[in-house]
Amino acid sequence: MSAKSCELRTVMVMNISSQSHEVAISVRDLVVDYKQLRAVNKISFNAKVGEVTVVIGPNGAGKTSTMEVCSGVRTATSGEVSVLGLDPKKDRIKINSQIGVMLQDGGVYPSSRVFEVAQHYCNLYGNRTTADELIDMVDLGRQKKTSWRKLSGGEKQRLSLVLALAAKPRVAFLDEPTSGVDIFGRDLIRGIVRRLADDGCAVIMATHELDEAQRVADHVLMFQDGNLLANAPLTQLRASAGNNQTLEDIFRSLASNSSKSREVQ
Amino acid sequence: MARNGEQLLLLVVIPVMLLVFFSQTDLLPTTSENKIDFLMPGILSLAVMSTAMVSLGIATGFERSYGVLKRLGTTPLGTRRLVLAKVSAICVIEVAQLVLLIIVGLLLGWNPSQVNLAQVLVVLLIGTSCFAGIGLSLAGRLRAEINLAAQNGLYLVLLLLGGILVSNDELPNSLGNVAQFLPSSLLSSLLRNSLNSTELVITDFVALCSWASTACVLAVVSFKWSD
Repeated sequence: MSAKSCELRTVMVMNISSQSHEVAISVRDLVVDYKQLRAVNKISFNAKVGEVTVVIGPNGAGKTSTMEVCSGVRTATSGEVSVLGLDPKKDRIKINSQIGVMLQDGGVYPSSRVFEVAQHYCNLYGNRTTADELIDMVDLGRQKKTSWRKLSGGEKQRLSLVLALAAKPRVAFLDEPTSGVDIFGRDLIRGIVRRLADDGCAVIMATHELDEAQRVADHVLMFQDGNLLANAPLTQLRASAGNNQTLEDIFRSLASNSSKSREVQ
Repeated sequence: MARNGEQLLLLVVIPVMLLVFFSQTDLLPTTSENKIDFLMPGILSLAVMSTAMVSLGIATGFERSYGVLKRLGTTPLGTRRLVLAKVSAICVIEVAQLVLLIIVGLLLGWNPSQVNLAQVLVVLLIGTSCFAGIGLSLAGRLRAEINLAAQNGLYLVLLLLGGILVSNDELPNSLGNVAQFLPSSLLSSLLRNSLNSTELVITDFVALCSWASTACVLAVVSFKWSD
């Protein structure tokens, strides 16, 4: 193992209690099994208020399962999860009023129109913001009367983001928010995510696009095969690897080391 | 619901069409002097079945498939309020259906001899719970397309064998003996009774209550919020 790799592994197991921000999400020894398959294998991490924590890794690495457990959609097989000091399953209604969730696949009735879905979700959260404001924010003003089934992939993603933002969330779970979105849409979504964090929201965002992660992350969680390869601030991760290394280089290096150590075992 | 034309067909057009067509023709083997008096309670049962089972079941199945229920599960709405909203929607639609069918029935000469209103309402309520339980049991487990086919298939079976258009007495003996215990037969029979006498057939009532409780428990136990 090279010196750089050793440094990276040190960062990987970095002390998760080193905090300048308040912890919004705390995960300890989380395990998620689907029958015989272990999707998430005893992982622990914190996500902090005012930070964008990006969860990266290939398809099937355990990103969505972890996000779903944290947002209360899925039950953990074992381990402890706390969101804003509450249990996502037991205190679901309390937590739900404070979190915004963007699912990987929409969750909108195909015949529903943009404005009415946004309005409906604003009502569900007690009208903390208006549908017009949110629709303008994601630049869907011209599609207000368009039904979900007629929206393009990128427009659907932007509307899904609106539904998460209707909560004016203290914690936002965004599962692949830029997937299928064009370059201008990505800039827009990235800007919204950054503003959310700057306004004091803890944003936890899953993606398998490493370039995207590099542009928006404060903190990085790297997943592979249900294991956490890295859990560190982006700046620290890059500094340890050498600043000319991209997240993709770092991920490849860690993933390769992890595979080798498993082979040895 | 109202945005989909097929729902309008299921909830309004089919019950009204069956009522008008079979009350004005001699195609059905019935011993009643006035065909509409036999048909009306059956068509009311059909209306309940189409709303509480088929319409609710199909809509819920697609909501599961599209991830709508999963998405709503992350909001402060909560399961109780979601169920309450669905129950309220069913009640509103059923009231509108029943009012329309009663008006059409009266225009066609329906003349119920002795209406026990309280009994009618209780029977309708139990029937609604029963069919909603059956609809949600299917919707909560099956894939949306399979659920769609299953709900429509069951609707047809319960329509043909459920004492709605044809009395169970007119069916072959073995089939009639089984068919009389189907929930649509029990609801039709109880409504026929409640609209024409003050008596309640206790065995039928207990059987319908058993169907209702079993179906509702099954729905609660087996329901999955997402595929």
